[in-house]
Amino acid sequence: MKIHAILLPLILVICTSCEDRDELVVTETREITTKDIPTKLNASSDERFRDVKPSPVQGTPPENWLKQPSTQFRLLNYRFGESGLGEVWVSLSSGGVLENANRWLKQFQQEAITADELAAIEIVQTAGSEGRLIQAEGSYAGMGAEPRDDFALAGVIAPIDGRILTVKMIGPKAEVAAAEEDLKRFSESLVLKDQF
Amino acid sequence: MTEPIPKPKSRVAHRSIGGRLFDVFSGFGLATILLLLMGLLTWFATLEQIDNGLYATLNKYFHWKSLFLVPEIKGKMVPILLPGGYWVGAVLLVNLILGGVIRARKGWKHIGNLIAHSGIIFMLIAAGVAHHFSERGNMAVWEGEFSNVAEDYHEYVVEVVKVEDGKPASVRVIRGEHIKDLTDGDSRVFRLPDIPFDLELAGYAINALPVNITERAPTRSELQVDGYYLWEKDGEVQAERNLAGCYGRVINQEGVKQAPFILSGNAYYPYTVETGGDVYFIHMRKRLWTMPFTLNLDKFTADFHPGTMRPEKFVSEVTRIENGSEAQVTIQMNEPMRYEGLTFFQASYGPSDARPGDEMYSVFEVVKNPADKWPEYSLYIVTFGLFIAFVMKLILFIMGQARKSS
Repeated sequence: MKIHAILLPLILVICTSCEDRDELVVTETREITTKDIPTKLNASSDERFRDVKPSPVQGTPPENWLKQPSTQFRLLNYRFGESGLGEVWVSLSSGGVLENANRWLKQFQQEAITADELAAIEIVQTAGSEGRLIQAEGSYAGMGAEPRDDFALAGVIAPIDGRILTVKMIGPKAEVAAAEEDLKRFSESLVLKDQF
Repeated sequence: MTEPIPKPKSRVAHRSIGGRLFDVFSGFGLATILLLLMGLLTWFATLEQIDNGLYATLNKYFHWKSLFLVPEIKGKMVPILLPGGYWVGAVLLVNLILGGVIRARKGWKHIGNLIAHSGIIFMLIAAGVAHHFSERGNMAVWEGEFSNVAEDYHEYVVEVVKVEDGKPASVRVIRGEHIKDLTDGDSRVFRLPDIPFDLELAGYAINALPVNITERAPTRSELQVDGYYLWEKDGEVQAERNLAGCYGRVINQEGVKQAPFILSGNAYYPYTVETGGDVYFIHMRKRLWTMPFTLNLDKFTADFHPGTMRPEKFVSEVTRIENGSEAQVTIQMNEPMRYEGLTFFQASYGPSDARPGDEMYSVFEVVKNPADKWPEYSLYIVTFGLFIAFVMKLILFIMGQARKSS
């Protein structure tokens, strides 16, 4: 009897404290703050998840490149080639030409180059600056993705006003080789917003 | 015949279980073990945070939920089972109270030791109070702008905001603790009293990006919404850089579930719900923490060591506005503003690529810690206690020498 007298209320207390975790009533509020500013309503998914600000870089891509939505790190973004695996994108970032070139080469497991070797690489004019055409072939392992064999890189890196403008083309080896001239022409067509 | 003399029972044999426990928990041996463990935990945590980040490591080593842990250095497990730092500290607190105060010798000769032990006890209590009751966030303010809100470093919440005259009018907050367990297909319905719909949330990811399926094809049969899905990524080493995300679904007053949508800490605009002439928006953001006053950043100055981006000095000149009264305050590195239980530290600035003459913003770390100054006070107490102890020793030595010579 005594045990029951203790156990029953205990079981009741345990059961009543069990919360239905599939459902919750929300009453918490907060005050309106200086961060609560009017916002765009009825925004589409593209507007909600993409930076739709005008790109600070503009260029004329070849007709056979397929324009892709830009992202935070791809100011201009394209696909090319029959396989659908070829990509070209333009970025503005910090750092030096040499370190960016070596970072790209590392993605193809290639040895780093020296400043003297960089100076000997072909120049491509882009956005009013002299860029260097970086090329590599082999197994491409970039951005945490699975390595892809028989890929190639062709890209231009140019110092622009304390920053780095990069035009990077990645894709199957044969498709990159076929599109190399397109890449050069596209790079030469690039202008920064300040230069409009 | 003489009776055999019974052997005297040892002192230990007479001790009750309670007495023995008291001996163990008040013992110097236990204190030594605990201090060694604390040293080991601190050493392993310092090494582990290099790879796993500070926030995750602190939680693993010192959170109260962490009873035991196995260190992991450079991705390799160290085969030692260690107790959680919180519990080592808790047992040390008990040990100090029992051994350093209750069991310790009393009297004026030992008053210094008692004061010093009390100081350490106070410090351990301060750590516990900070662990359970402190809040941290950051406030970013552009030069010439106002702010009355700090943002939590880690907690993502979902807010349902009513819009009136195009502006946010009231906010309902679903806290992170109710969302972050909604992984692996779990979902939860959130009833929103006084709001003409309820909300179902599911598929929470601690770090995820909304990605268009044309940019990156889904690989794990993720739910696709309007051409987008949440691409789940590994957690960032700096946990405050994680961008949480989840899927939501509005349930109308008839109980009918509407089409799903994505909520993301990385969204530029919220999701809009219009019902019965009312307009609401729903978004995921880091929890906002309203301050009892407003800060206006009048001027921000950043000085760097010559030729480097290593900060030499950041200075924020602010006006604190509260109930119509204003106060001018300067906040700089190592000189925080303390006011109404809040401490504002100069933390950083932006934009990171700002050039001379560009507009800048200042970032303050805002800390609300009831035990903010307690460690400092405890050090004063310990110092005072040790000073008394040494002085007592000196006096006793001098008295002893005087007695011998006389």
